[in-house]
Formats: sequence, C-alpha cells, structure tokens
Amino acid sequence: MRKQSTQLLVIGGGATGLGIAWDACLRGIRVVVVEQGDLGQGTSGRYHGLLHSGARYVISDPVSAQECALENAVLRRIAPATIEDTGGLYMACPGDPADWPDRWLTACRQLDVPVEEIEPAEALRREPLLNPQIERVFTTRDAALDSFDLLHMLTHSIRAGGGQVWLRHRLDRLIVDNHRVVGAEITSLNDGEKIILEADLTVNATGPWAGLVARLAGIEIPIALGRGSMVAVAARLIHTVVNRCRPPADGDLIVPVGTVAVFGTTDTHVEDPADTRTEAWEVDKILKTGAEMIPSLPQHRPLRVWAGVRPLYRPEQADAEQTRALPRAHTILDHAERDGIDGLVSIFGGKLTTYRLMAEHAMKVVCRHLNVTAPCRTADTPLESGAKSYHTLPGRLARVEPQAPPETPPQIICECELIPRGDLEAALRAVTPLELDDVRRDLRLGMGPCQASFCAYRAAGIAHETLSSVPQDGGLGGFLQERWRGIRPLGWGHTLRQMELMRRVYLELFAAQDLMGEEAAQ
Amino acid sequence: MTSLLVVGAGLTGLFAAVLAARRGASVTVVARGRGNLELSHGCIDVWKADPPLAQTINHLPDTHPYALAGFEALEAALAAFCQITTEADYPFTAGPEDSLLLPTALGTIHVTAYAPLSLAQGHMADKTPFVLAGLSGFRDFYPALAASSLKRAGLPVEGTVELPVPGAPLRRDGYATDLAYLFDRPASRQQIARVWKPLLAGAKRVGLPAVLGLRQSSAVFLEMQERLGLPLFEIPTLPPSVPGLRLERILRRTALNAGVQIVEGVPAVGQAGEGSRVRGVVVESAGRSRFHEAGAVLLATGDVLGGGLETTPDGRVRETVFDLPVLHDGDRARWINPALLDEQPFERFGLRVDRHMRPLGMDGTTVYDNLYAAGSLLAGADRINEGSRQGIALVTAFCAVEAVLG
Repeated sequence: MRKQSTQLLVIGGGATGLGIAWDACLRGIRVVVVEQGDLGQGTSGRYHGLLHSGARYVISDPVSAQECALENAVLRRIAPATIEDTGGLYMACPGDPADWPDRWLTACRQLDVPVEEIEPAEALRREPLLNPQIERVFTTRDAALDSFDLLHMLTHSIRAGGGQVWLRHRLDRLIVDNHRVVGAEITSLNDGEKIILEADLTVNATGPWAGLVARLAGIEIPIALGRGSMVAVAARLIHTVVNRCRPPADGDLIVPVGTVAVFGTTDTHVEDPADTRTEAWEVDKILKTGAEMIPSLPQHRPLRVWAGVRPLYRPEQADAEQTRALPRAHTILDHAERDGIDGLVSIFGGKLTTYRLMAEHAMKVVCRHLNVTAPCRTADTPLESGAKSYHTLPGRLARVEPQAPPETPPQIICECELIPRGDLEAALRAVTPLELDDVRRDLRLGMGPCQASFCAYRAAGIAHETLSSVPQDGGLGGFLQERWRGIRPLGWGHTLRQMELMRRVYLELFAAQDLMGEEAAQ
Repeated sequence: MTSLLVVGAGLTGLFAAVLAARRGASVTVVARGRGNLELSHGCIDVWKADPPLAQTINHLPDTHPYALAGFEALEAALAAFCQITTEADYPFTAGPEDSLLLPTALGTIHVTAYAPLSLAQGHMADKTPFVLAGLSGFRDFYPALAASSLKRAGLPVEGTVELPVPGAPLRRDGYATDLAYLFDRPASRQQIARVWKPLLAGAKRVGLPAVLGLRQSSAVFLEMQERLGLPLFEIPTLPPSVPGLRLERILRRTALNAGVQIVEGVPAVGQAGEGSRVRGVVVESAGRSRFHEAGAVLLATGDVLGGGLETTPDGRVRETVFDLPVLHDGDRARWINPALLDEQPFERFGLRVDRHMRPLGMDGTTVYDNLYAAGSLLAGADRINEGSRQGIALVTAFCAVEAVLG
C-alpha cells in the first residue's frame, strides 16, 4: 500500500471539484483530485450544453439567476474555446400564461440579466423552424458550452499548475481520527493499487454521491436527487438557444450543440445517484413540448437520450419528490461547524454555469481551515487548453480537408464525427486500461447518427494494432451496449432501423454473441 | 399485365423472381431500395441452433415460417438456389454434416449451411496453418483483432501480415467495394500478385478480407490462388460486404436473363381489387404514377430494417404496401430489451401467413386470395439466434412461387 500526503484532497472530478482544485492551485495549495470514472462521466458531462444567461431563474430562484448572469460573462473571458456564442431566445407560445412575459421582463431588469424584446417576425427570420404562432420573443445571452472541453481544460490547467488529477480512482474509505477526517483510502481502478492519501482538508464535491460520501464520515446530509433527461435530434434545427417564456417546466429548452439540437429536460425524483435511465414517457414529454416550439420536430430523427442526476439541497420542510421546486443554488457545508467533524467540507448543487463561483465560495471555507490568505484568481486567469485541439466541426473539417492536401489523405475512422485515424490512435494510447467509452468522450467517437455501428469495429481493430494489452473484443462489446442503452428509449422509425442494423452487423455478419457476452461478463 | 409482381429486390424477392420466371411466368420486380444483401456475409444460414433443424422442425410453433413451409420444401428451395448459383459460375458448397464453421472479421466462428467457395475454404475443419492478411490503408478489416480470438478458438493462425495494394485509390473513406473493383481488372490482379508473392513466402494458406472481385468472383479467386501458389480464403468485412453484393449481382443478372423486368428506386402502393383479390401496385416514378397490374403480388419488402414495416412512437407497426395486419406488441416500451445481445421482441414482428404464404388477418383467415409474402417480413422467427435468415428467405419465396404457379 502506497502512502502519500497533500494539503487538499478533492473528491469528485466534475466541474465543481476541478474548479476547486484549479482555484487552490492558483493560491499555491498542493491539491489532489480523485475521480472514480473518466472526465465527464458524471453529472457535468450529462447535461444539455447550456451556458445560462440567468434568465431562466429570475423568478423562481433570483440568487441563481444573478450568479448565472455574472458567471456567463466570466466564462466567456476565461474559457472562450468551450463556448459557442449562439445567443438565446425566450418565446411565449399560444396558451402560455399571458402575464408571465411582463413579470419575467421586470424581474430580469431588476437583476441586471440582459434581455431585449424583438418582433416575432424577426425571431422567425433568424430561426425559421420556430412555431409561427409565437406571441412574444426576447433575446438573452444564453450560449452553448461544451462541458467535456471545459473539464479537459480545467484538468490540463491543474496539472500544469502542479496539482494532480487521478482519474479512475475509487474512494474506499474516509480516514476519521478523533472527529477529524485526515485522509482517504483509495484504489486505482487502472491497476488495483491501494493508496492512503493523507490530507489537511478534504472536500466532498461528488455531486449526487455527496450524501454517500458524507456518510463515510458518519454524517447525514439532506440531498434530493432529481434526474433530468435530454434528447438529441440528429440535425441542428436551430442556431440559437431557445427557451420557453413561462415558468420552468419539463422539456422547454433547446440547445444547438455541434451538429445536433438537444431538447430537455425533465425532472424526476430518483433514489440512486447512478440511476441515469430514461423512460418512454420522458421521451414522449420532451418531444411533445419540443414540437410546441418547433412544429416540424416529429419529422426529424431523435438520435440519442441521456440523463444526469442533479444533487439538490432539500430543506427539511420541502417535499423530496418535487425536485423541480427545489432551489438550484449551491450549498456548502462545513462539517466542523455543522457536525463536529473537522477536516471535511461538502459542496453540492448549483449549475455548470456557476461552477467557478461555487469553487470560489468553497475555497473561502477551505482557506480559512488551511490558513491561506491568497486571493481568488480564477475569474481573471484564462484556462489553458494544452495541446488538445477541441472538436468543433469546422476545426475537424479543416484538418481532414486541408488547403494543400497531403499525398496520403488521413483515413476517417468515424464518418459521422470526422475522426482521423491519427487522433484515434493518440486517444487510445492515452487511456489505460482501454475503455472505448472514454475515447468517445475525448473524440466524440460513435456519437453521430450511426451510434458506433461502424466505428466501434474499426476502433477495436485499431486498438489491437496500437496497444499491447487489449480485451479480446477490443472493448467493442461494452461500448456498443452503452450506445444501445442510449438509443433504446427512441426505438421507433429510423432509429429502430439503425438498431437492427447494429445487431445484423455484429450478431449476424460477425457472429459476436459469445465474444461480446464474455467480455461483458468480465 | 404481369403474372407475378414481386415487391422488394433483396434475397427473397430476387430468388422468387428467378424461380417464377424460369417456370415461364411473366415477372416484374418493383423495389424501393436494393435490399440488405450488402449487409450480409453472403452465405446461406439455415439453422445453427441445436438440435439440427431436421429434428426440430416438427416441434417448432406452427406459426414459424419453417413449420409452415416444411422440411421438403426447404430442401427443394436450397437445391434450386445451389443450382442457380452454380450455373452462374458462383458455386455454393455445404459443409460436412451440413454446417460450415467460418472465421469472421472479429475472430469469432460463423456457423452457416452454404457458402461460396472462397469463404468455404476457411472452414475450421481445414487444419492447414494460415496467415491472416490485412490490406494497407483498408479500414474495414483488422487481422490482429481477428487473429487474437481465432487463436484462442484453436484455429491454426500462424500470424498476420500487411499487404500493400498497388493501384488502390487513396481515399479517406475507402470501402471493400473500391478494392473489389480493382480486382475485377486483370492487369491489377497481375500487378498485385507480383507484389504479394514474396511477402507471402513460407505461408501455407492465407486468409484475407473478402475483396477479391465483384464481377467474375470465382474466376478472380481461383486466378489469385494460382498466381500466389497458395490456398486462400476470404473473410467478409464490415459493410458494404462484397460476398453479399456478389450474390445480389448474380441473382439480379439471372433474373434479367430469365426475362424479369426490374423497376427500381420507387415505393409501391398496393391496390385492392374486387372481392378478395388485389389488382397490383401503383408506383411513383419520374413525376407520374404508374399502375402495374398483376395476377398475383408477392411482398418481399423485409422487416423493420428492410422497410417492409414502419414503426411509430405511438406503438403502431404498419405494413408499408397494403397496410396489412402486423403481429406486434402495441406498447412501445416492450419492443426492445435492455441488452444489445438479448433477443429483441421487435425483430419477431411481421405478417402471419398460411402454408401458401398468404397473409392472414387477425381472425386467422387470408386477407386476399392472390397476395403472398415471404422472407424477413414474416413473423414468428428469431432469425439471429436461430441462424435462419437466408433459409427462411429461400423457402418462403419457394413456397409462394409454388402456390402462385400451382
């Protein structure tokens, strides 16, 4: 068993945990982040892609609204590469509460959330697929933000700043000594090594798992879990983020993300932080509400569903089942004050848009405990992108189709997402042990219309040519099963045809039942 | 007026058209697309499950296409198929005890009944050690991946080799078909064999991706063996799969030579007639509708993937030509099982038919006297787990033609 020590241990490598670690690095604190999965495997990666303007919460949650508005401007400064500045539209459809837009507009003005009313005809000129019956329309500063890219940039910045980020490391136990958390026992899921990590202070930034982690120190925290499902449609139907101008409800948001449009979200109470299923009724509801905003939606092919689990602070009087009504603001619990357990701080809730501010708030508590007086610098320090080139489609296209074409053009492994073989090889080498799903988050492998029916085989083949130790099936069984899971709730029409195509190729043409079954069983 | 109008140009439709035309019927094939042969291994799967079909067929539910058709009809259909392909100089061979165990591109073993010569030579019973060859720049076949599992399965894999393909088009997205066109040219074959021969020195047998020609495939394959002085065998690749396309091409040519008229790229809409008969189909082509009158209509439009069945989010499943009743579950949430490897209920959806392959209504009586259906459009089989897709296609096409021509 290896022993190591650090000043600050952050459990959870989502936007909150990485944000805290980056903030700590900039203040000269030694920090280690421990993440059980890959970057973006939890709630931060399972989101709709929206950089909030704040307008959505001006009435229901004014604090969040103001924070979103401020952080929206900050992220545009420090991480512009992750943002596509689409702008936002808030539209009131026939049947929506008639008094809402004026109330909402007043609230926006009071909270300094910039909005502007435009003519419905102008909105339809910009976005011709919108419902022509819209009654009032407003522009906002909403945008699309790629959270995978943001997490990569944070990780790169932390590592460049002397911090450590341990991916695929599982927290087994918090070490509690005389009412004080003094570190943690951790297992590397890469090679099985056990590590004792001593820390002056531990931050629990595990999102929906925060309750389970606190329990390891004998502490109960009241968290309600709300699952939000999203549907991506296989076409970029709009170029602007579109919100419904009415009280927030299921399925009233559309975000253009790369080549697709994401419709969301629902809010369903769940018990298990790993419960990321999507049920048929959620899909029906999202598509039905979406069609009120874009009437031609039923003619387009839904591509994929996913769900993220939001951790929400539940005050004692609140109804745990009504997660939509719970505040979106974040909560910081200093367990020394609250529970008499020193050395542990929990933070949860909030929005991806406000991750930096949440980190700044959490670091106030951390600095007090560690006697650090250095100021927060994250709002003015741009994140570093490192060598990684981010996968905007124009960027991909420019590399695949350069002005002066090389003699041997790069082989395209995934046609849907334009992934050249060289990129795939580099990504495969960076992931040990091999998980094609991690490569997917890195490159968008298998995220297009064919949902990996073709590139899964190619990636498995290239893994066998590139790496020395590879599962017998090159990892494709688990990868395809994960793809299957995300398209299953959309199984009708062309998507169902795609699903049958996947089965015909792998089970009839390649007879892979036993091979994939064996690897899945391991 | 045509005596038999076939809707669909996959294995089922083309085979039925050939059978009927050879018996003197006037036949028209109307097809929206090209069928799914390009997705297939190009072999004839009949039954891979245990016990063998001869013992099982009497115990199958009476809605299973094999139970409806009977074993004798199956044998007759397979014999007719083998005769057609042999005459087209693309002979299919059966394995000992009726099953061939063929290596796949993933290194698994595909159990099938009949395979064309170039694939059949990969049969597991052949203990001659072999080298697996990949082709430079070809992204749809990876010998290291296949070799890893084949070795474990006990096949005598001696190693892998990468072979350059002089003259291959340099493309970002090269397909098996691009290479196959190259092998169709005699000069290319000569040049490629000259480059390959020294690289294969010492090999006793070579397995390689199935790209050795699309047109005169048997001749190309035999010529390459002779030029290299080695036994070869082919392994089907990721689609487009050349062996499937060869079979499609042969059936299409045989049909045309037998006088079949093929109308492609058009959707067909069924036309009911007086009483319990159909009159034919209307197709939309080049800005106008055209009515094709027929003595009998055979639907060979395939299942969900083929486009014979259309599914909607409200749980409906529609047969696309005559809107016939489809055996299915009305609750969409039950169509698909959670695991990709599970049996999938939606793949059993389809038409119920009588022994003459005439679609039945929900009351169990035939819907039309002169309307027939065959192939993957039929309900009642688990084609992937049974390994029965092509066998069902051939025998149900055979039975329908028998019923039409009497």
